[in-house]
Amino acid sequence: MVKRFNNGIQEEEKMGRIRTLAYATALCMATAGSAMAEKPFEGVELKMLGIGDTSVTRLAPIVGEFEALTGAKVQIDMFPYPGLVDKIIIESSSDSPSYHLLWVDSPWVGMLGEAGALVDLTDLAKRDAAEIKLDDIIPIQLQENTWQGQLLAFPASGMTWLNQYRADLFENAEEQAAFKAKYGYDLAAPTTWDQYRDIAEFFTRKKGENAGGKPLENDLYGVSQSYSRVQGAITHDYFPFMRSFGGDYWDPATGLCAMTGEPHVKAAEYMKSLIPFNPPDYLGLMWDIQSGYMERGEAAQAAYWSVRSVRLTNPAEARLAEIGKAGFAANPTDGGKPEPTYTGALSFAINAKVSDKEKEAAWAFIKWSTSEDLMRRFAKEGNGVSQFRKAILSDPDLQQKYPYYKVLLDSQVNAKRRIFHPFYQDVEETFGVELNKFMAGETATAQEALDTACNAVNSRLKMFPLETRLRWIDDVPAKVLAD
Amino acid sequence: MAYQATRNRRIFLLFLLPVIAVLFLTTIYPMLYAGWLSFRNYDLAKPFIPRIFVGWANYAEILSSGTFLHALITTLKLMAMTLSAQLVLGVGIALLVTQRLPGMGVARTLLLIPMMISPVIVGLVWLFLYFPELGYLNYFLSLVGLSGIGWITTTNWALWAIAIADIWQWTPFIMMGTAAALHSLSPEPYEAAMIDGNSRWDVFWRVTLPQLKPVLISLMFLRAIDAFKIYDIIFVLTKGGPGDSTEVLSMFIYRESFTFWRMGMGAAASFVSLAIITILVTFFFKSLNRDRSAVE
Repeated sequence: MVKRFNNGIQEEEKMGRIRTLAYATALCMATAGSAMAEKPFEGVELKMLGIGDTSVTRLAPIVGEFEALTGAKVQIDMFPYPGLVDKIIIESSSDSPSYHLLWVDSPWVGMLGEAGALVDLTDLAKRDAAEIKLDDIIPIQLQENTWQGQLLAFPASGMTWLNQYRADLFENAEEQAAFKAKYGYDLAAPTTWDQYRDIAEFFTRKKGENAGGKPLENDLYGVSQSYSRVQGAITHDYFPFMRSFGGDYWDPATGLCAMTGEPHVKAAEYMKSLIPFNPPDYLGLMWDIQSGYMERGEAAQAAYWSVRSVRLTNPAEARLAEIGKAGFAANPTDGGKPEPTYTGALSFAINAKVSDKEKEAAWAFIKWSTSEDLMRRFAKEGNGVSQFRKAILSDPDLQQKYPYYKVLLDSQVNAKRRIFHPFYQDVEETFGVELNKFMAGETATAQEALDTACNAVNSRLKMFPLETRLRWIDDVPAKVLAD
Repeated sequence: MAYQATRNRRIFLLFLLPVIAVLFLTTIYPMLYAGWLSFRNYDLAKPFIPRIFVGWANYAEILSSGTFLHALITTLKLMAMTLSAQLVLGVGIALLVTQRLPGMGVARTLLLIPMMISPVIVGLVWLFLYFPELGYLNYFLSLVGLSGIGWITTTNWALWAIAIADIWQWTPFIMMGTAAALHSLSPEPYEAAMIDGNSRWDVFWRVTLPQLKPVLISLMFLRAIDAFKIYDIIFVLTKGGPGDSTEVLSMFIYRESFTFWRMGMGAAASFVSLAIITILVTFFFKSLNRDRSAVE
């Protein structure tokens, strides 16, 4: 009987353990289920095709944070700029896309928009306007990403074309006195292209000569600009010059290329007149090589996109931050006449061929990666960003840290977006080759180079009816900005 | 007997089928598709352009294009520069390495290395050599008091820079073929020439070179076809620039197809290029047959 009693107790203990295990298992499953239900995109995998530059590289190490928030895994593939648009074109022409998120340079929106390659974000942006603080975004940065009024990409890095210069040399008393004696006016950030050239000439010096009271370790160039034909780098530099001389891209009556007029010729001739003050390998200068001269302190000034401006204040990225000081100013214009600032945007877009669930997940990623919180965090951490939110650009502490923020903010009050035509790639490449030939001396005159380039573009545009050509050049106001 | 013959034929076909299938998938079908494309207005980046049949319009545009003509002339210039240098250097080095001297075996092996490297890597190696500020070539020039050269950034030098890289890579090919041919030459003419008291130059010019001629023609022909299609080194070094000084036919085709995305035009340009190579091949075989007939 004792044995049966003991067996009974053992049975009961065993049943108790089984019950405890069952309760614990049920509790775990309930908790896990509850946790899973909190993450809206669990199981979703997003792939992003992006550039290996700051607008994407700062995100790559922290995509795990987005996954922790939403459950969606994100993989970012980064490529250099030359050739990136080709990958995007192949991706958008495929019926089974590999990438859900696409990094987009704003001139591409026309080409990709007309091809129906990108999701219209207008309704999503309006729906989540409060969350994304839509009214805090500089309006031109949203306009940069529209095609026919549709918002096809969201800014991740808003930029303007601005002038960066060696403020330490400009502020040196000896240099100021010498400049005034030679040119008859005060040395300061140029407001006209004549001043820009005078400064370039003044500061072009050989190794061993003095600059800022010290002998130079390397040659100092008065200016460095992009003249390479690769990926139309020279075209990217030419257009802001052209616009600041008062030129525009298209004939408003015909929708055809009109870049052959007096301001266009003047801009090309002006670029050529800067060659003696550029590094000797000017024909091979692309953006990173061009800005590299500025970053090493080997150029006195250079006009380029603000997306690279922040490097000049970071000793880890630019020697100039240790040996000198960078100054920032709005782009000069012809004779100082006010011209709208030349803007651009590096943005994130969603592939039109993804599923609805993937679209929502991709939009969630865009909101997270461009949020004010993350943008402030990047700015505080010193990660190179060219901001597009007014609250950040006007923050006094951040303006102190990044002097170019004020220039970015002020210069976008009167601004006009870059070219956005469906034939942008044709324009970029054709003008790139012809302008490069002119700068190399293979073409005798700027007029001839521009005529050849424009005629080549127009030979393709003329096959389209007038109505289509005019639609393509019409900058329809972004519907996302409409009340 | 008949059954055996039929069975043999079936076995042959069975063995041939995989080869035919691979050939069809990798060569014949793509060529047919390219041919179809070449008659169409096909823009991959702009699906809103109707991809319609346009007849010979693409071919007419290419043949009347100044850019295409310039690319063809640049290609022929580059061919002349590289082939002449490779011939002289290749034969000269072959004559050296076939001497019975210590170390020639090792030298022969080392000299073959450039042609075993992928053209893209060759391009990258020479890109670093040609860098204006940091490249070794300009560094060595500075050591002897000379100023640097814009090897790939000036129109005067860019085509030479491409030619030098190509010569460096493919001279070993001529050397290897010539060395092999030299080993197979009959010794009797040399003995006779020595007895007659001819100088070494006379022996080379009147005995060695005529015997090498058929081999050299074959080698140069193979190199000519390769030189006509040169692409990798140019893409890495200059991408057709500066200006259009290194824009060769292959770069023209690349730009039409993968920059402007005009696949129809690119396909048509490819076929025009194929036609030019075919004319060269025909010319080569006719001259080779003429030489054989003269010998017989």
